[in-house]
Amino acid sequence: MRSLKVNGTERRFAPDQMPRTLAVLLDVLGVGPTTVVAEVDGQIVRRDEFDRTELKDGQQIELIKLMGGG
Amino acid sequence: MNQPSTISDRPSIRSVLASRRLDHDRDLWEQRLREVTSRDVEAALASRPGSYCLTKLLALVSPAAEGHLEPMARLSQQLTIRRFGRAMRLYAPVYLSSHCVNRCRYCGFNRDNAFPRVRLTVEEAAAQAEILASEGFRDILLVSSEDKAFITVAYLTELAKRLKGKFSFVGIEIYQMSAQEYERLFEAGIDGVTLYQETYDRATYARYHLDGPKADYDMRLHGPDDMGRAGMREIGLGVLLGLADWRIETLALAEHASHLIRRYWQSRISFSFPRLRPACGVPAAEFPHLLSDQNLVQMMLALRLCFADAGIVLSTREPARLRDHLIGLGVTRLSAGSRTSPGGYTDPDANTGQFEVNDHRSPGKVAAVLKTRGFDPVWKDWDGAFCSGSELTCL
Amino acid sequence: MDKLTIAGRVFASRLLVGTGKFASPQVMAAALEASGAEIVTVALRRVDIDDPADDTLREIDRERFLLLPNTSGARSAEEAVRLSRLARAATGINWVKLEVTPDPYYLLPCPVETLKAAEVLVKEGFVVLPYINADPILAKRLEDVGTATVMPLGSPIGSNQGLKTRASLEIIVEQSNIPVVVDAGLGLPSHAAEAMEIGADAVLINTAIATAGDPIEMATAFRLAVEAGRKAYEAGPRAPGRHAEASSPLTGFLREQ
Repeated sequence: MRSLKVNGTERRFAPDQMPRTLAVLLDVLGVGPTTVVAEVDGQIVRRDEFDRTELKDGQQIELIKLMGGG
Repeated sequence: MNQPSTISDRPSIRSVLASRRLDHDRDLWEQRLREVTSRDVEAALASRPGSYCLTKLLALVSPAAEGHLEPMARLSQQLTIRRFGRAMRLYAPVYLSSHCVNRCRYCGFNRDNAFPRVRLTVEEAAAQAEILASEGFRDILLVSSEDKAFITVAYLTELAKRLKGKFSFVGIEIYQMSAQEYERLFEAGIDGVTLYQETYDRATYARYHLDGPKADYDMRLHGPDDMGRAGMREIGLGVLLGLADWRIETLALAEHASHLIRRYWQSRISFSFPRLRPACGVPAAEFPHLLSDQNLVQMMLALRLCFADAGIVLSTREPARLRDHLIGLGVTRLSAGSRTSPGGYTDPDANTGQFEVNDHRSPGKVAAVLKTRGFDPVWKDWDGAFCSGSELTCL
Repeated sequence: MDKLTIAGRVFASRLLVGTGKFASPQVMAAALEASGAEIVTVALRRVDIDDPADDTLREIDRERFLLLPNTSGARSAEEAVRLSRLARAATGINWVKLEVTPDPYYLLPCPVETLKAAEVLVKEGFVVLPYINADPILAKRLEDVGTATVMPLGSPIGSNQGLKTRASLEIIVEQSNIPVVVDAGLGLPSHAAEAMEIGADAVLINTAIATAGDPIEMATAFRLAVEAGRKAYEAGPRAPGRHAEASSPLTGFLREQ
């Protein structure tokens, strides 16, 4: 089994189901907003880099979006 | 990449004065002064006391404001008491040298004037200061003419170190120095510098400053900026009243103050009002812009009403009676018992003074008068001893 | 009325609006429209994996409004810097409203962490708009560091108490060389007008609009109040009258010559 920690929650994948890239992960999760930014193991990744960012077993991923605030 | 604006992006005082034409266009400003009406003066008085804008000050120094001196005086008195309480700082000058390389036509120490020049050694200067300390002073002003060869940075730092133990505030009023030199002096214990532009009008400046380093108007103009950069706590400004039209000079002086206040928010600006007085070798007919007592009062009040926190300094150039009346109108710092010749506290008649003193009362007498007028003579304002090089350590 | 300039960009509106606490994205969008604002603040949060498509900001026209991300949630300088970098990566713009609020009750900003974060962010090329208590010295320190504005609070976030810090705000307005945006605690249009009358360059309103009975009408009211306050300030208001005490003349001596 492979796993990724996404926003603090561990998600498991069968080896052949594991999202290859960040773009695929977002697709799988159904994450919509265009103003999303990710951190992979603490490193910031911009939206336009998602399809070039390969994922590895055990990485910690933060998905962050803009929302309403004061 | 968006670079945030820094202090150096903002216009220099030179370009501010030039763009406002305050350094050369007398006709323009005389006309604007004439056009001020009584209603303009009332509007200026109704605006927030202690706040500055050029239009407000223009109204307050105008001929039209002469009929409003009493309300100006009341406001000024109230504002000063609110900000400074009833405390009056007392200080005294120590003249270090009368040797000078400049030729300034208005000054008794002009190098063309023939009289025996005197210099005090550090020992002798310290001895003069000792006399002042014994009279109760804790606030002292070291004064010198342009005698760079003798009154060096080393001299001043040595003297400052000796004085620091006795005096809580040591200021200097000497020839102009560089920012690095001011920094060294600040580290040695000099807390304030006074440097008069003498006149902001370029043509007038050229006419009266014939030769020597002081003849450079622009260099002189940027002196206070160097003091601010060096961290000086007090920056003293002033014009020699009588060289040019005092109303226009006051406007330029205020622009200078405002510029410095915005840039060096940790320094306090103060204004002095040296009014031309008889001095050895200076014929009176050469000065068509001499101020009356009424003009002097109007100038002080106008500045106080525009600068709530500025120090207003009065020296012993002015006669006793006038000083006593001016005390309640916005003054915050007063010299007393001054001698304007080097060595003057031990031997008052031995050497030539820079200008004639007109209030000859002793410091004790001045303090007593202050008390009868409801003021508290303050010999020391704050204590540099709290600040000298202490490090933060856990006890 | 003269225009507002922040970091070299010119704005016609002096009302900044926050996008939080609205009942729906549609109401939010309509209120923003009615407010005439050109700068709107937004926050950063983790995507909710259970509702991942939620995009409250899809209604905001990014051509029309400058999005100003805030670092709300940060309790330290490190967190604020991290959020700022994330925001820049998310939006492509380098403006950030720096908010470091360790105190969860009043959401008051920490001056020490704010100054630390501001120094780092300015060096990294951000346009920093720091949210602070109405502390005039802190405002000068931030200006020295190179922030684009200061944003002192009127009263705690969401309290709707108005200009409790008025006396300090007046000092900040007097001493500041950079725009002063009064932020937090303004509950009524009259509070906003008051802030503008004392010389603030702009105000930021969120709770008072978002939680009003009719947010769109309230947004309009705030727009009008900010305009009225600014016009009054530019017209040169008179200080409240003071009556001088009757006593002997102070300048009579001049006539005794």
